[in-house]
Amino acid sequence: MSSNSNGSLVEILLVEDNPGDVRLTQEAMKEGKMRNRLSVAVDGVEAMAFLRQEGKYADAPRPDVILLDLNLPKKDGRAVLAEIKADPDLKRIPVVILTSSKAEEDILNSYDSHANCYITKPGDLEQFIDVVKSVEGFWFQIVKLPKE
Amino acid sequence: MPDLVGASDGIGTQVKTYLFGLFVLVLLFCLYVLQSSAQSRKLRSQLLETREDLISTTVSKSYVDNILKSMAETLMVIDTDGTIQRVNQAAISLLGYERHELIGRSAGDLFEEGVDVLSLLKQSELNDVIRRVDTSVVTKDGRHVAVSLSGSVMRDEDGEIQGMVCVAQDITERKRTQEILERQTQELARSNSELEQFAWVASHDLQEPLRMVASYTQLLSKRYKGKLDADADEFIAFAVDGATRMRRLINALLELSRVGTRGKDFEATDCEAIYDRTLVNLQGLVEESGAVVTHDRLPTVMGDVTQLGQLFQNLIANAIKFRGDEQLTVHVGAEQRNGHWEFCVRDNGIGIDPEYAERIFVVFQRLHGKGDRPGTGIGLSICKKIVELHGGRIWVKSQPDEGAAFYFTLPLNEEKSSHE
Repeated sequence: MSSNSNGSLVEILLVEDNPGDVRLTQEAMKEGKMRNRLSVAVDGVEAMAFLRQEGKYADAPRPDVILLDLNLPKKDGRAVLAEIKADPDLKRIPVVILTSSKAEEDILNSYDSHANCYITKPGDLEQFIDVVKSVEGFWFQIVKLPKE
Repeated sequence: MPDLVGASDGIGTQVKTYLFGLFVLVLLFCLYVLQSSAQSRKLRSQLLETREDLISTTVSKSYVDNILKSMAETLMVIDTDGTIQRVNQAAISLLGYERHELIGRSAGDLFEEGVDVLSLLKQSELNDVIRRVDTSVVTKDGRHVAVSLSGSVMRDEDGEIQGMVCVAQDITERKRTQEILERQTQELARSNSELEQFAWVASHDLQEPLRMVASYTQLLSKRYKGKLDADADEFIAFAVDGATRMRRLINALLELSRVGTRGKDFEATDCEAIYDRTLVNLQGLVEESGAVVTHDRLPTVMGDVTQLGQLFQNLIANAIKFRGDEQLTVHVGAEQRNGHWEFCVRDNGIGIDPEYAERIFVVFQRLHGKGDRPGTGIGLSICKKIVELHGGRIWVKSQPDEGAAFYFTLPLNEEKSSHE
């Protein structure tokens, strides 16, 4: 197993309300090479609390990358994205939109709100595993992220 | 006689004078008779003329009366004060008043509130006519009857306005048909949008659970194939296959329903650019099949650039998919015809039996077995929907083994013509 360029464990925050998708992402990551820790927030409110280390998330790690679903209970992914990108402390964290929506409108709005990339969840397992591996490979091995 | 003449000269002179006088008298009489007969002829012809005039006036009066009487439209003559001077039988029947109740009445009383006949008259003074104003009249028993009112100003020889002739046509039936039609159109639009909404929601919301079924049966197969028994392997394989096919169909359905909810307003769209982009998208497919794709100079049309891209892509990909054994050629042409652009995507592929020429545009209709030529059978339905949303028509001309030519029409670029 390799880790990111700092040699430490990579921190990923998955914001996803569907346990099936959470598990699938975990399974896909098992197949990846990265030593990672996947934290899960099941709605937008929880995600923001995690990122701002509020309440029970006081000790939450700062994620290296955020995987964000768009359709979420309480506060939806679009609002979460806008808040992250408007927050000077959080806006540098890459946000990968991982959603089942293929709607052009969602794609445009996401990039307008400074999403770092937009991925439609593939329906096929192998493709899904590929996507998760690619995200890991790209954001933790290819891309140079700010040291912080 | 000479004796007589010779015997009395005085008497002869008297006789001469007498005879001369007689002659003059006769002459005068003749002249008188002649003149008076001419006068009487003139008088007679005058008399005759007058009689003819009288007859013709009477005839034309009854002629006009007859016309007015047999007119289905109600006719009303009003003076410059808006007072009714004359009505025809149809007006009497429609309004339910007696003739004497109408004559002398203000025409304004007969129309629904808000319709001022005098002001209509004033308006029409400018161009002397009112054309088909939809309003309604109130009958004696208080019913409102929808009419289409036309009118025309009457002027005397000096050009002074004498009044107006109003013709009102009962349009109750037309109005009713129109209302029914409007209601049906609304109903149709509603049920259409409901259906589209349903298709979208169904395909979109079904995707989530289906993705779970497909992914987890695949995961089962991946992790446990060969670890359970042969039956289990077979069962899992069927589940995976079913889920995969269903996913493909639902994706296709979603795509189709997205076309229905037209997102963008039409704008001037350069088909040349769309064609270029399509070929870039299809590069892999074109290279793999060795297809030679050519095109005419393509026009700028009014449309949705995304949808038109999809249309070109589906048709060219379709041509590649249904290629025959020989070298495939695909040509995209366009010509202006009957006020729109007619496009043609022509190939030399396997062609289609004309018997199925309509069926191929119906959703999920496939002419080939599942293993034969891959696809969901939705591509051409999407093409049809896109073309119809653009107010056009799509059809195919083909024979088996003789290639196929898909034609579709698109609107002309209005922006361009309005600038010209």
